[in-house]
Amino acid sequence: MSDTVDKQYYQKKDLPDGVKKAGYILTAIGLIILVLAFMFDKTRASFNALMLLMFLTSIGVGSLFLVALEYLGGAVWSTPFRRISEFLASIVLILPIVAIPVYLGLHELYHWTHLDVVAADKILSGKAAYLNEGFFTIRVAAYFLIWILFYYLITNNSKKQDTSSDQKLTKKNIKLSAGFMPLFAISITFGSIDWMMSLEPHWFSTIYGVYYFSGTVLASLAALTYAMVYLNEKGYFGDKIKKDHYYSFGALMFGFVNFWAYIAFSQLILIWYANLPEETFWFMQRWEGEWMYVSLLFMVAHFIVPYFGLLAQPSKMNPKRLKFMSLWILFAHYFDMYWLVMPTMSKGEAPFSWIELGFPLLAVGIILIVFNIKSSKNNLMPVGDPKLKRGLDFRF
Amino acid sequence: MSSVDYTKEYSVVEGSPRLSEIEDIIIRPLNVKPDKKFYMAISVTLTMLLIGVISLGVSFYYGTGMWGNNNPVGWGFPIVNFVFWVGIGHAGTLISAILFLFRQKWRNGIARFAEGMTIFAVMTAGIFPLIHVGRPWLAGYLFPYPNQHSLWVNFTSPLLWDVFAVSTYFTVSFIFWYVGLIPDFATMRDKTTNALKKVIYSVFSLGWRHSNRHWQNYEMVYLILAGFATPLVLSVHTIVSFDFAVSVLPGWHTTIFPPYFVAGAVFSGFAMVQNVLIFIRKIFDMEHIITLDTLEKMNKIMMLTGMLVGYAYAMEFFIAWYGGVEAEQFAFVNRAFGPYAWAYWIMVSCNVLSPQLFWFKKVRRTIPAMFAIAVFINVGMWFERFVITVTSLSRDFLPSSWGYYSPTLVDFGILIGSFGMFFTLLLLFTKTLPVVSIAEVKAVVDGAQPTHGDH
Repeated sequence: MSDTVDKQYYQKKDLPDGVKKAGYILTAIGLIILVLAFMFDKTRASFNALMLLMFLTSIGVGSLFLVALEYLGGAVWSTPFRRISEFLASIVLILPIVAIPVYLGLHELYHWTHLDVVAADKILSGKAAYLNEGFFTIRVAAYFLIWILFYYLITNNSKKQDTSSDQKLTKKNIKLSAGFMPLFAISITFGSIDWMMSLEPHWFSTIYGVYYFSGTVLASLAALTYAMVYLNEKGYFGDKIKKDHYYSFGALMFGFVNFWAYIAFSQLILIWYANLPEETFWFMQRWEGEWMYVSLLFMVAHFIVPYFGLLAQPSKMNPKRLKFMSLWILFAHYFDMYWLVMPTMSKGEAPFSWIELGFPLLAVGIILIVFNIKSSKNNLMPVGDPKLKRGLDFRF
Repeated sequence: MSSVDYTKEYSVVEGSPRLSEIEDIIIRPLNVKPDKKFYMAISVTLTMLLIGVISLGVSFYYGTGMWGNNNPVGWGFPIVNFVFWVGIGHAGTLISAILFLFRQKWRNGIARFAEGMTIFAVMTAGIFPLIHVGRPWLAGYLFPYPNQHSLWVNFTSPLLWDVFAVSTYFTVSFIFWYVGLIPDFATMRDKTTNALKKVIYSVFSLGWRHSNRHWQNYEMVYLILAGFATPLVLSVHTIVSFDFAVSVLPGWHTTIFPPYFVAGAVFSGFAMVQNVLIFIRKIFDMEHIITLDTLEKMNKIMMLTGMLVGYAYAMEFFIAWYGGVEAEQFAFVNRAFGPYAWAYWIMVSCNVLSPQLFWFKKVRRTIPAMFAIAVFINVGMWFERFVITVTSLSRDFLPSSWGYYSPTLVDFGILIGSFGMFFTLLLLFTKTLPVVSIAEVKAVVDGAQPTHGDH
């Protein structure tokens, strides 16, 4: 009985051509729409660019979190698929580029960047020490730096292990992951406060960072699940992946659907109950005019559908259901970004047109391209990982 | 342990004991007469309990004026103690239900005991809202039933939700605990030679015969109950946090309260379980069942939840400043630098600073160090509830209605009594029921599980 897997068997294989093509086509269409949108309606394009940035941040940073979580928790069942998350985490490398269009629209997006407005507003001048362009830029740079740094440190060790099978690298990565976690918590919290909560600079909520975190994990988990089921059905993971693995993904997604709902509900009920005008206006914006229907739809899309879709035990291991639900959850997370961002731009009316349709295409395109590039250079499985064999053999 | 081999799964029970050895070790405390140490321990806890009973008697005879509660601080020790004890209970459910759903095998050695602590902690906690209402004999009206007095409850109050949440939680925890005990009762029934014990164990084992069909049903029930207990445990401390957070009081009303309270509850609960287990494993020779690895994992969870709590403290402060609401800013400055600054800094140093020592593996695996840190954590978590409850109330919106809360001797007496009650019940538990689940530990011993893959 050997403790390692047959490396040759799990070596790199190219992804289906369709994935590559789809990535480039979607990115091309998305980029054209992005440019056109900025030409026609800069404000609206900026808001869309922000949604795009936050969505990709979710996938990228969330995937890095999942990688670190596996190391820290000592999980083995997810080891065969850790590379998927590592590939997706490389999105953090291009986040600074995705942030450029948002930066171009900083004045369209953020009220507090207008110094005259801030000077005339007592509350805004009170927080000018935090909300000003200089400090904002420093913070954003710091977030990107943290994410990119830890991406390189962790994935490089993982890659080195493919050839050396050195167990010390696992140990190193556990330590790195422990160091990453507190920084991750701080950066994802203040990142979401800076990019999104400050869209309404008068509004505040202590749970906001946790709310964004819950969506982040859910989305990156959904991306991982979809990729895993899709590639496994095409035979990329060999013949050892069984419904026990599927079930674990389904159960984890189901858990985080509930966690997201718990956080969202906590925020809503506490603000509704206390009924303080300085807090309620944020929810009122999402309940006026068309936004009421959007909010109702949002609850159904982000909680009710995935909840019932993943509730039963058989549905957690049904590959078809898992694929559908993970795509659905990714859509719901983009919807979440829309729900968080857009009411600031348009009160009473929920804007929806080719612009809002085009940006998500770009998101999908970017994810596919990044995944494709990474997988063409690396093994799809961490073949030197000491936990891989146990991960493949994993049964309840 | 410096070189862990990641290709292997380590057994959570050390030394591959035989199954009969496990049975013997776990059942032994129930078959020997209590020794001198036991009597010494229980006389201490009974004395504490007696102090509590006397203090309660004084409170009932003279009224709640014997307490430090005043105007504006209407919620003094009783609410602080209530939240503290409910929190202690949370670790038990986290270990027995949530870690079960996560299939963490190391939980098997400690789940029974932790779940027992849940039940006793919730019982202890239940005393406080009852006495805090002033006339506990009228508490039956908290349940909404049609009565001649046309008394009806206020369904919009989180205090009422507490009644439902805590009583449901207690019920489900108790059933969960009992279901887990059934196979063990059967084992004890089969092993005992005492006729009276045989009758008692037979009744409680509900005709269990260790048959395949029994186990199948048992596994399903256990899984479903774990699934029920998980949202319940979260809901309980969430609703406890609502008691504070739905108000408009600065320092109480903040949206992070629900997850923050849950994290804090798990934090203090783990500290308490760890403290008690350190004694249990030593006294009952269970160091190979409740291993150092298990304790280290618990310490890691304390470190995590400690940082979550620290995150919440920091977020509250940041948003109090960022939000720009004057009353909120005052409340937080007052917390850290006002008349209760001493309590605040005890809380921060115990809850946020002391668990940072767990970053060092050496500390995580040294019994005296981890014991001391866990004691600090429990002190800190008690003070956290004190800080939240008292500082916000003592500074009312009008400076003319400010006041300082000082607990009285009776308050301390009741607090001591609550510890007395909790530990008395625990001591009795160790002599009446198996403190470790025999069946669950057998299931994780080396060679108990069928293995897969190539051989």
